[in-house]
Amino acid sequence: MNKNTKPGRRLFGPGLTVGTLLLALPSTTPAAVSDADFNALRDTVQKLSEQVQSLTQTNKLVEQAHEQDQQQIQELRAKLSATQQTAEDAEQKSAAAAAAQAEPTPGVPIDEATVNHNFQMLGDAEFQYVNADHQNGAFVLADFAPIFLYRGGDNILFEAGFDTTIANNSPNGGDYTTTFNLSFAQLDYVLNDYMILCAGDMLLPLGTYSERGAGWLNKIPDDPLAVDALLPGSGVGAQLRGAVPLGDAGKLLNYSFYCVNGPGSSDGTGDAASLDLGGNVGLRSDGAVANLHNSPAGGGRLAVFIPFKPRYDLELGISAAVSQWDNAGNHLWMAGVIDAALHLGPNFELKGEYIATRYGSDDLGTINQNGWFVQAGYKLAGLNVELPGINNLELVGRYDALRDGLGNTTDQYTIGGVYYVTTALLLEADYEFINSSDPTQPSNQLILQISYGF
Amino acid sequence: MMLAVVLMGVLVGRPAGAQPPTDTSSTNSAAAQASAPATGQAPVKKQLTGAELYSIHCNRCHAERYPTERTGAQWKTILLHMQVRANIPGQQARLILQYLQENSGR
Repeated sequence: MNKNTKPGRRLFGPGLTVGTLLLALPSTTPAAVSDADFNALRDTVQKLSEQVQSLTQTNKLVEQAHEQDQQQIQELRAKLSATQQTAEDAEQKSAAAAAAQAEPTPGVPIDEATVNHNFQMLGDAEFQYVNADHQNGAFVLADFAPIFLYRGGDNILFEAGFDTTIANNSPNGGDYTTTFNLSFAQLDYVLNDYMILCAGDMLLPLGTYSERGAGWLNKIPDDPLAVDALLPGSGVGAQLRGAVPLGDAGKLLNYSFYCVNGPGSSDGTGDAASLDLGGNVGLRSDGAVANLHNSPAGGGRLAVFIPFKPRYDLELGISAAVSQWDNAGNHLWMAGVIDAALHLGPNFELKGEYIATRYGSDDLGTINQNGWFVQAGYKLAGLNVELPGINNLELVGRYDALRDGLGNTTDQYTIGGVYYVTTALLLEADYEFINSSDPTQPSNQLILQISYGF
Repeated sequence: MMLAVVLMGVLVGRPAGAQPPTDTSSTNSAAAQASAPATGQAPVKKQLTGAELYSIHCNRCHAERYPTERTGAQWKTILLHMQVRANIPGQQARLILQYLQENSGR
């Protein structure tokens, strides 16, 4: 159907005809019209009227058809639009597929199934500068101390720590020496929630410093004098350790008991100067497998850990060890340590240890040694002062005392600061005042250190 | 002596690996876990959340590391190392691990 068709025009023609006929009738001659003419005319008018009605109905039908046609046109337009959209989508998908085929295949996503996270490397690295009186200032330490962890399932862990350092060979020779030391290497088996069995070369829990003294953990670059001088760092043997909760508030009873080869003699004799705290590892350099003396050493630590709330806690511990030390097994070496640590919020820490040791000797009889240190740190973030960098700064101080039982006494006062670039990257600067009866010791020294824990 | 103690511990204590996973969804919520108090019952006991235990134990030796620094699987290995080094009981270690894994880098 032609949509331009005007239905009104169809009515106009017949209507005009009827009107013309009506106008053509003579109004002044009613008597002259016969009945036949009248009837004929009436019939004609009636037919025309019927024709008009028919045309009117036809017009209505045409209008209805027109409306239907319009609706149909709208539907067709909508379908056409949808079809065009579908075609565009198909074109886009086709283009994307072509582009994807043209690009290189992406790598396999890294997920838990493809990566072995059982192996981890932690550790720390330090770089140190020291300027002591009567000596030339020097960069004295480049230390890389990785800890390798391998977890076998939920309960087994193997961990080993190393220390790699370099040192020059003056005054006896040129060049330099690289040392690669095994700090510890142990296998840990979690027996249950409260007991862990360890075996290997272990850091010994005589006090807490030996286990918590890694470079980035210790806020002062060097070790406490008494810890270095009086205690073995590690021992080869087996250890049972763990913690038992005391109530639901986080209190713990920590314990560790161990059996290791113990100290030895550097030359096999029982002379006092021959005590070698870390020398008896159970395998002689000639390949023989033997403890250097008759009996292994035994020791342990008991401690209570009391958290008042997160970052507020107190830990008190007592530890001891006893062992033969000379090859003949004639003399005992004994050590006792009392340790304490207090944290009052994230910004304040106070800790210390008292160490006493005693050992017999062939030449000097019984040697009694003791020493202690107290260390405090305060992060200036606790002051809530808005100054540049101040919130990253921690002030530290330590007092060290050492009585070596061989006539030497040393007191050392250390003050300094730590600037935390991040929580694990530390810039440390300390100045030490040393009062020692040993004339070879400097009276003061400056230590600068960069530490990073990873 | 130590062997006897170990054997006794193995026999008495439940092997950690055989323990069912602890449902810590409620204890790890921000709010303190507490049983509903009722008249005549024992006083409400607060159980520490994984986040609280994480702060408590880390701060003993060093500042807390961000959980996002490691993946969940990496934290599992590291936490076993810290469980040994810091003498953390198994149940507390599991709460800490759940906290770390829920907030880990991936």
